[in-house]
Amino acid sequence: MDKILLKKAFPQWVKKLQAYRIYAPSKDEDIWTYETVTTPEDIDLEFLTTALSPKKIIFPQREVYLEFEKADEDNPKIKEILPDDDPTIVFGVRPCDAKALTLTDKVFGGDFEDVYYWKRRNQTILVGLACNTPPSPNCFCLSVDGYPHSTEGLDILLTDMGDKYHVKSLTKNGEKLLNLAKSLFTPPKTGDKKDLQKIHAESEKKIKRQIKNLKKVPPKLKGMWDSPFWDEEAMSCLRCGICTYMCPTCHCFDINDEVHSSVPLKGQRIRTWDTCQFPDFTMHSSGHNPRPDKASRLRQRIMHKFQYFVEKYANYQCTGCGRCITNCPVGIDIIQVLDKVRDYGS
Amino acid sequence: MDHNAYIPKLAKIIEIKEEVGGARAIKTFRTQFLEDNGFSHQSGQCAMLSVFGKGEAMISISSSPLEKDYLQFSILKMGRVTSALHETQVGDIIGIRGPYGNSFPIEKWKGKNLIFIGGGIGLAPLWSVLNTALGKKQDFGNLTLFYGARTSKDVVFKQELEELKNKMTVHLSIDVEEPDWEEYVGFVPLNILDKKPSPKNAITITCGPPIMIKFVIQNLQALGFKDEQIYTTVENKMKCGIGKCGRCNIGLHYVCKDGPVYSWAELKNLPQEY
Repeated sequence: MDKILLKKAFPQWVKKLQAYRIYAPSKDEDIWTYETVTTPEDIDLEFLTTALSPKKIIFPQREVYLEFEKADEDNPKIKEILPDDDPTIVFGVRPCDAKALTLTDKVFGGDFEDVYYWKRRNQTILVGLACNTPPSPNCFCLSVDGYPHSTEGLDILLTDMGDKYHVKSLTKNGEKLLNLAKSLFTPPKTGDKKDLQKIHAESEKKIKRQIKNLKKVPPKLKGMWDSPFWDEEAMSCLRCGICTYMCPTCHCFDINDEVHSSVPLKGQRIRTWDTCQFPDFTMHSSGHNPRPDKASRLRQRIMHKFQYFVEKYANYQCTGCGRCITNCPVGIDIIQVLDKVRDYGS
Repeated sequence: MDHNAYIPKLAKIIEIKEEVGGARAIKTFRTQFLEDNGFSHQSGQCAMLSVFGKGEAMISISSSPLEKDYLQFSILKMGRVTSALHETQVGDIIGIRGPYGNSFPIEKWKGKNLIFIGGGIGLAPLWSVLNTALGKKQDFGNLTLFYGARTSKDVVFKQELEELKNKMTVHLSIDVEEPDWEEYVGFVPLNILDKKPSPKNAITITCGPPIMIKFVIQNLQALGFKDEQIYTTVENKMKCGIGKCGRCNIGLHYVCKDGPVYSWAELKNLPQEY
């Protein structure tokens, strides 16, 4: 369903959504992050790429799984700790980050559904914002089957049209939010539709970075397991792992027990984000490490995103947000790496 | 969605047996769930054991599914969780979740001669499938076990191995000569070349240190075994056990879910990442 919402009516709409916990982009000095907001005035949709994607709302960096307790001779007691039940809206989701959640959905779904992930996922409505201008100079969504105005994974897509938003409702949940303030939304006029098409077409032209012929990369990677390429590319890596921590599609995690009292025993089992770029990620307790060096770990990152995931799910595990490029302290640029893979040996 | 795969079930340790002492200590634990929860495994599968406050470790189940009274785990003291397990006493409560992974395709092996080849703690995953085969002995041809350890003190299941000699062919070995040792001296792969098992209508299942597995496979091939006749298990660092935490992969396989059992025909095509 396509509608028009005047920007000056936006606060009135948000006021009707009080039953929801609302996250929106918020600026802290130079850094944009998603934070909970209490008034419509706190929502700023003129934002650049956020430090972390809204993945952190669905799959937090640290979360408690269960609590355990053991007093004296009693048997230990364990208590499952599930996320709260609060219905949630995220405003200002970039299309690449929404698509990224459709990819983590594949991982956290399947044979064993991840209860923690899906509880939050199912109670969260995503209101996207089309990228009329790339929010980062390193955006390359067009190269990985994305668009700056893609609707994949969203419930609503907003497109900024000057003094108004074009509002595309995509799911039942999207409809529900519009129906809470029905009178504010008007049908688009003929001119609006044309303008929208123009804005979307132009937004694609503004994306400067691209990987040509990416489809040649997955089959190419298959033959590059033993290549010296990985040593060369990983030479400058500091193994800080920021490429994976900032990535909206990375999903690796660690599980650990935290003890708050040893007698009587009291503590929590927590999961935290983890990264394939850390040496101890794969290290056996014997000390043996199947990925012992930077080269094998860079290879894992690239192979996972552009070969294994493609073979398993027919998608790149990358949505072109550019965060890993922008944040790498030594300038490892995934676009350049993939360009080199494509041309390697030819 | 109502089942949370990450929550372990409580189980009581009902028996602890010290297999090997010293720096490479191995103990065998038998456990019983406090409440019946429908836990049912196949030979080759693993379970995630919890010592609350220390964490979790993935351990292969060494009892046969035919054994309904308890689950058995033989554990080498190595890291934080396995060291904590070695500290436990009979009556202590641990957590268990699982079972995880694939299993030995024992149904496909009916009518064949089975040759089990183990080294060190690698006898633990073999023990389950070996006992399942013994329990259904009429379904199979000849059963043979090759088992080796560094020294006679490192041999696990000593008493059980003696009893096993009445039921099947057992070839033991230790790596270095000892005064009272009457069986083979030398590495397990060499014992295989020495005894020359026939590849005819046979399946081999080998578990042990990676270096042993490598040479066992080479020597089996030299004796004429085909890749499809050779099965092994792989282990990697694991946290979730259900293909999500991302660390145990070999290429696009997650060992916790797609493994740990592989035929050499499958494994030889995967990258050397284990």
